[in-house]
Amino acid sequence: MTTDVGFWVLQTLNALQLSMLLFLLSVGLTVIFGLMHFVNLAHGSLYAFGAYVAATLAGVLGTWGAFLLAPLAVAALGAVLYFTLIRSQRRAGPMAQVLVTFGLIFVAVDATRLIWGDLPIGIAIPQVLEGQLALLGVEYPVYRLFIIVLGLAVLGVLTAVLTRTQVGAMIRAGVDNDQMAACVGINVERMFFLVFVVGCALAGLAGAVAAPVLSVTPDMGLQILIPTLIVIVIGGLGSLKGAVAGSLIFGFVQTFGAVLLPSFSSVLIYALLAAVLVTRPEGLLPAKG
Amino acid sequence: MLDLTDLSSGYGETQVLHGLSLRAEPGRVLAILGRNGAGKSTTLKTIMGLLPLRGGSVSFDGETISGLAPFDIARRGLAYVPETRDIFRSLTVRENLDLAARRFPCPQGGWTVERVIALFPRLGERLDNGGDQLSGGEAQMLAIARGLLMNPRLLILDEPTEGLAPIIVRLIHDKLAELKRDGLSMVLVEQNFGFATSLADDVVVVSKGSIVWRGSTAAIRADHEAQHRWLGV
Ligand SMILES: Nc1ncnc2c1ncn2[C@@H]1O[C@H](COP(=O)(O)OP(=O)(O)O)[C@@H](O)[C@H]1O
Ligand SMILES: [Mg+2]
Repeated sequence: MTTDVGFWVLQTLNALQLSMLLFLLSVGLTVIFGLMHFVNLAHGSLYAFGAYVAATLAGVLGTWGAFLLAPLAVAALGAVLYFTLIRSQRRAGPMAQVLVTFGLIFVAVDATRLIWGDLPIGIAIPQVLEGQLALLGVEYPVYRLFIIVLGLAVLGVLTAVLTRTQVGAMIRAGVDNDQMAACVGINVERMFFLVFVVGCALAGLAGAVAAPVLSVTPDMGLQILIPTLIVIVIGGLGSLKGAVAGSLIFGFVQTFGAVLLPSFSSVLIYALLAAVLVTRPEGLLPAKG
Repeated sequence: MLDLTDLSSGYGETQVLHGLSLRAEPGRVLAILGRNGAGKSTTLKTIMGLLPLRGGSVSFDGETISGLAPFDIARRGLAYVPETRDIFRSLTVRENLDLAARRFPCPQGGWTVERVIALFPRLGERLDNGGDQLSGGEAQMLAIARGLLMNPRLLILDEPTEGLAPIIVRLIHDKLAELKRDGLSMVLVEQNFGFATSLADDVVVVSKGSIVWRGSTAAIRADHEAQHRWLGV
């Protein structure tokens, strides 16, 4: 099978699709961390919340409406979290943050159980994205291509904002040195709030678009957390490029590992993580050189 | 213009400043001298709100600024050029300059990017270089230029000559002298006694976190005992 071009095309597309979902999740988390050294372990729960909200709204508004509103709902939830919990934990140090946001995961799991029940929920693929598309001799689901294109589009927009705009320069300055950024008049805390909310929206978007291809279950937020953390540790904390590199590495190692080395696939990514940590403890492309 | 009254602050458990008081007058240059570890940088960080105050107060043009966030203090007209320069490494030289310029209104005849480049032509040749690609001298010029683009009422400099070649020290000296002639108020922390006294109008000496000597530049030049005792000159 490995001599068949179609096999490689198919697995490459699968890897890219996984990478793009992970990218949507990890980019917010890593920039939040880079900017404020804040660890939000509940980031995966926001992804799950996005999926549930999308599944609920899809019945009323259709899938497109759900894709649009779910990220906004998650952003709103993020804002509530910020004002009730996160702001007060900002100066509490990493240990307290890890404990509080880790606790939040279990609150989120039980809350989703109470509201939506234990059974997996499905969501329909939008009609225009149904079916398969022939690509380099392979029939590939259009919807999965849509996820890839969406991830690339978000990457393009974020790159443009970060490298070409004043807000982007402010964010990069804040990641470099938050104290000096404050000394040139930047309200770093307000910028952190903005980045936090955008990061939540992207997690919600990831959950919403993942809903039609995965089953929406209460523990999906917990399941995605470890891959997301591996992505940002491999990629290097705080940087967009790191999130891209980490997501691609994870997506490809995971996908090709599962088909080429099935008996090792579950340890492969951890072996890679260990290798990166030993040779480059800061990750491959950290924000701070 | 800037009044520190009975300031106490430090890092974590260690208190560094013990009831430090000083005043900087408008249109003048105040030099803060003192041995390594005396608490000079700590004083400046406390002024900028980067360290929590344990006692005393800071006021600027009659308004209390202690307790405000650093960005708020900066917006009131204090520009800080730190000892480590703290150029934003992932921004180009141009972006470093723009960041400060866009955040502060430029008054008639104030500092613009063109004007700071005219002051430091070297920066003009480096506009597209990354902040991490500069020599020590260039980083210092950029840190000062960035401060000027905030069009501050008071420029606060922490050891601008530290680690620089004599020719660059001379250049920085001449530029700061030019700024002084234009009437810019400055607070200058220095280890280099000759450099500081050739720019300053007033001098305070810090030792172990409080002021042990204050007077004019002429007076410290004449006071060999104070120089010997507090500065090891
Ligand atoms: N980040 C820090 N954490 C703990 N102690 C510090 C820190 N920075 C400086 N100190 C201590 O505070 C004292 C004063 O330091 P500083 O204000 O930097 O001195 P100066 O600028 O006069 O050379 C020194 O004893 C120094 O060891
Ligand atoms: Mg110092």
